[in-house]
Amino acid sequence: MRAIVVGVGAVGARAARQILALGPVDDLAVIDPDTARREAVVASLGRPVSVGSDLESVLTTVRGPSTSVVLAGPAGNHRALAELALAAGASVVSTSDSATDVAGLLALDATARAQNLTVVAGAGFSPGLSCVLAAYAARSFERIDEIHVARVGVGGPACARQHQEAARGRAQEWAEGEWVTRRPGSGRLLCWFPDPIGGLDCYRGDFAEPLLLAPAFPGVQRVTSRYGARRRDRLAALVPSIPLLARPLPEGDLGALRVEVTGAQGLTRDARVVGAIDRPAVAAGAVAALAARWAVDGRFSRVGAAGLAELVEPGPFLAVLAERGVKVAIFEGAAA
Amino acid sequence: MKRRALLAMALAGVAAAVVRLRGGKAASPQRGGWRELTGSDLY
Repeated sequence: MRAIVVGVGAVGARAARQILALGPVDDLAVIDPDTARREAVVASLGRPVSVGSDLESVLTTVRGPSTSVVLAGPAGNHRALAELALAAGASVVSTSDSATDVAGLLALDATARAQNLTVVAGAGFSPGLSCVLAAYAARSFERIDEIHVARVGVGGPACARQHQEAARGRAQEWAEGEWVTRRPGSGRLLCWFPDPIGGLDCYRGDFAEPLLLAPAFPGVQRVTSRYGARRRDRLAALVPSIPLLARPLPEGDLGALRVEVTGAQGLTRDARVVGAIDRPAVAAGAVAALAARWAVDGRFSRVGAAGLAELVEPGPFLAVLAERGVKVAIFEGAAA
Repeated sequence: MKRRALLAMALAGVAAAVVRLRGGKAASPQRGGWRELTGSDLY
């Protein structure tokens, strides 16, 4: 396997480490415009790796069908970078949680299929682990009616800025078989995350899960995504001119996911609630690295561009993540 | 009279913003809890 990690911030640095831990790697290259950060990550990897400042030049030496390019840099240009990687014959794994990036990557489906390659859109914490959890919960049903994702926490500083943008953006939801847009910050819903996060009010925002989950579950009636917000987050989301009210932690904070899937098995209608608690950057790095490995190993259900809910068998994927320290949980008992 | 009405509307707006930002107080679920998914659950 050959791998290129573009952007070695909180998520990319962990993805690079996880790629090396998941199996033999013939060549690993890391790309980041911040030379000091790049050198620090290279030193921490404990083995020789190639370095570069732009993807185009690195792809001249690291390329081909056994190559995965992990796009872990700030949101905004993931589609353009994915096109470069596909042109060099490499599969792509993007950790971007931007709905614009995800839509752009999904639009590369025909290009990727024509080259027998995979573009994994939204392979981070949310979307990413959230999509695998949805697929896991959906295994309990013959028919899926509704999927509701809630998230809290951010990865590194770039993720925090993107999250704030998303909280101010109009939400796209899948409702009754069509796309609808909702006002940002609307739809307050109290969601219970795994401990120690517990109960938190969650609100709509411009998140990517509906774009990834609606096509993954044909016939689903509703797909929504919300973010858990405390008072300070709400204020920052409501007033566009306010920058981040607190300096984001370089390695992110503790986060959690809650995914509720409603469906039917025979005549019985029921709901499954699954979740995870971890540092989003840690979980995102592990998810992206495993997706990069599975892309090269041909373990995805199909080629083309899609999210993890469509591409992976959720049980084995979560089992490998558990070995890498990313734990998931199910809510049992009364409705959470 | 008009000034009083405007003042009342402004106060109501401030109060609504405070209530909206504060959110509600969560009540704990009465039954159930989270269980970690392990080996046999995942296959």
